[in-house]
Amino acid sequence: MDKKIWLMSPAVILLLCFCVVPLFIMVYYSLLSDGTRGHLTLQNYADFFEKRIYLKLTWKTIRISCCVTLISLLISYPMAYVMVNLIHSGKNLLLLAIIIPFWTSQLVRAYAWQNLLREGGILDIMLRKLHLIGSEPLGLLFTPYAVIIAMVHIFFPYMVITIYLSLEKVDIALVEASKSLQAGPLTTFRRVVLPLSKPGIVTGCILVFVPSLGVFVEPRILGGTEGSVIGMVIEDQFFEIYGWNFGAAVSFILLAIILLSMAVLSRLAKKEA
Amino acid sequence: MKKTMLGVWIAVSLLSATACGNKAANEGAPSSPNNEKKTLTIVNWKGYGSDDPEVIKTFETKYNVKIVHPYMASEEELLTKLRTSKPGDLDVVLPNASILPVAINDGLLSPVDTAKLSNYAAIYEPFKHLAENAKDGAVYAVPWVWGSTAIVYNPDTVKGPIDSVQALWDTAHKGKIAFRDDFNDAVMTAALALGQNPNHPSDLDAIKQKLIKQKPLNRTYWKTGDEFAKLYAGGTVDIGLMWSGQTAAMKKEGQHIKYVIPKEGAIGWVDNWAIVKGTRNPELAHQFIDFMIDKKFQEDWVNRGGPAPVNKNVTRTLDPAFVEEMGLDEKTIGKLTFISYRSDEEKKKWNELWLEVKSH
Amino acid sequence: MLKKTIGWTYAALVLLFLYAPILVLMALSFNASKYNALPFTFSLSWYKALAADTTLIRASLTSLSIAAGTAIICVVLAAMLMLWAVQTTSKLKGWIDALVVLPLTIPWLILGLSMLLLLSAAGIDKNFTVLLIGHVVVSLPYAVLVIKARLQSMDLSINEASASLGANEWTTVRRITLPLLFPAMLAGGFLAFVISFDNFILSYFLIPSGSSTLPIEIYASIKFGFTPEINAASTLLLAATTLMILLIVVIMRSSLKFFLK
Repeated sequence: MDKKIWLMSPAVILLLCFCVVPLFIMVYYSLLSDGTRGHLTLQNYADFFEKRIYLKLTWKTIRISCCVTLISLLISYPMAYVMVNLIHSGKNLLLLAIIIPFWTSQLVRAYAWQNLLREGGILDIMLRKLHLIGSEPLGLLFTPYAVIIAMVHIFFPYMVITIYLSLEKVDIALVEASKSLQAGPLTTFRRVVLPLSKPGIVTGCILVFVPSLGVFVEPRILGGTEGSVIGMVIEDQFFEIYGWNFGAAVSFILLAIILLSMAVLSRLAKKEA
Repeated sequence: MKKTMLGVWIAVSLLSATACGNKAANEGAPSSPNNEKKTLTIVNWKGYGSDDPEVIKTFETKYNVKIVHPYMASEEELLTKLRTSKPGDLDVVLPNASILPVAINDGLLSPVDTAKLSNYAAIYEPFKHLAENAKDGAVYAVPWVWGSTAIVYNPDTVKGPIDSVQALWDTAHKGKIAFRDDFNDAVMTAALALGQNPNHPSDLDAIKQKLIKQKPLNRTYWKTGDEFAKLYAGGTVDIGLMWSGQTAAMKKEGQHIKYVIPKEGAIGWVDNWAIVKGTRNPELAHQFIDFMIDKKFQEDWVNRGGPAPVNKNVTRTLDPAFVEEMGLDEKTIGKLTFISYRSDEEKKKWNELWLEVKSH
Repeated sequence: MLKKTIGWTYAALVLLFLYAPILVLMALSFNASKYNALPFTFSLSWYKALAADTTLIRASLTSLSIAAGTAIICVVLAAMLMLWAVQTTSKLKGWIDALVVLPLTIPWLILGLSMLLLLSAAGIDKNFTVLLIGHVVVSLPYAVLVIKARLQSMDLSINEASASLGANEWTTVRRITLPLLFPAMLAGGFLAFVISFDNFILSYFLIPSGSSTLPIEIYASIKFGFTPEINAASTLLLAATTLMILLIVVIMRSSLKFFLK
């Protein structure tokens, strides 16, 4: 028997009681026909798969989330790399600078983006002053681009942090050793640095991809008429109509997608390591 | 090892205890012995009349009571609040027709004794007979304010005058329209445009097609009144579906905006006060409601840009031109289709229809 | 040198992107228009309104203390969990890894609602302990994942070396493992803090009636008016945080040298 079990027990007990139990409540609800009452049924799941719009919205949400994750990775990895390898003083201050924006509400930031991106808004005026755009309107607000920009903005700092933390521990000696073996910088990066920073990348992707799937504020405020995503469907079921059961079923399907993609991700990470 | 474990446990529990303690102190614990003031808990939208500091102060001093305002974010959520709260937690709430029948049937509300309300007689007659507000002859909800959801446009940029709901389908306004992201308003507005009964539309498929046709003309769908106000003030949108109350407020703040009840009619709504079953302060609850429909309060609020008052004595004292344009008079009441209660089944169907339009 | 310039330029660009909306909302808090209309007219009226708005101030303080409690509990729990994870041979490890990220995968809406239903089933009132537990549950995965990302790429042979040199376990943990983990714990704590600070849904369901947090106030105000007062509050919070951090850095310069390198 593990004698250190006390180390993990508080967290595990907390999670069992307040996360696993609610999860079962959710599954139970997703199988009920009417609110907290009613009989057991699979109808809620059938509804989801029978109607094209739910599948369509789910697929759209997955596409957006993949996009956001990929762009975040493209921004975050170089950022973390720069922070670890090229900046020698104040890197922890830089890390803090990346976390500080989280102090403002996601909703407030979404409205700030609306202000930034609209025609006659701040970005529009600035770009015009710099003659970077001509007379045509900016046309960014109420497009999928606006949604993706705002979502990347909200989630990429998580990725910078996880990649930074794993890159920081890559042993310089290993890099030097690789160099002394005549490996070019690219080979060194590909064969030494990248594999070692993989845990950070995988974790970062999870921290970006998973919450992206459940987002509903940014698409609604910035996405215009094409801003519907699956998170909104769930929100509607709880706040607009009395559809807890269907909402729970959609959530559970989303959960299944998330678990599946996480399994794929970690499989990928293992295979390459 | 045992000792360390104990230490960690104590640390964790101490931390959580102090964290909670802080919070309790912040609350200004109502349990302190020399604080004999009663507390009246009112659930309303934030920034919706009753939580104005002046108003609260006046009522608190008059009745020696402390008012607490937990806010609601949607009608459905108010229903959840009513269902999951303990008796005595909440005193007065603000439901509308979309949830009133459910709340009444589930026994979440207690009847209002209208004889205790000195201002009840001054309420516009039609509002006293709303089907959703009563059951078995007992009144469960007292109308407070009302309004319409109709068309607004910018007279400086949109060629007027506009008098028809078809304006929202007019390609001349393409890219400048903001329709509302709300299944109820969407279906009802399309029904008005198609000449169907907005509360009981006969052909949902035609409504869906009509809304799909409208979709590409929009700049965006707006969800919150605030969002529309900002887009309108910034010139991003010029015309759209809007509430009378919010329009009046925007006007008071200096926006050029014109409000029109289209000739096809418009959507009407009423917000009502109701008393929660199990309230510890039934007397105070009645006094509060009476205070809310009193001429003084209603007049002050509409002059600050609030929605239309139910107290008919108020309308008479207002500027007739303003009353006319904002549709605050009895004549307007006749033109509106007041949102009626819909079953869960119907709501689900409408919601899905709207979702299909949005993701078309 | 060129490399360094490129590095700094890139970092500056990323920070510009990160701070663009923040600067906008700060600017709008000084703009007279309620609807954020341009051109910009300087005004302090939103700060005056904020100063008079005791509800908003109290809500912000409540948010701060909940977030602080959450962060501390999360870091302690996550560090304990990770210390166990690095040395255990238990078969449970895989399961526990999955359990820890689970809260991340459940929409907060569902989590909050189920907790609320759990409370009503158990006949417990909404209270701050439950609220704090809810916040810890949703923030814990962030703290754990951040600490784990560090641990996984950490050279564990140091621990063994230390042990082989006769250091007892506690000494190893205190002298070697914890200092190595410290940056990750700090980052994890910060993340847990901000996750809790901006959490609307859980607070919404679990907060005792009569109290509110900043996100609740913000969400509640959007139906009719989301005034720049909220921007003013955000600006003040950002300014206060930055000042606080700078102050800590200056005061603890010597002891923090290791982390500032």
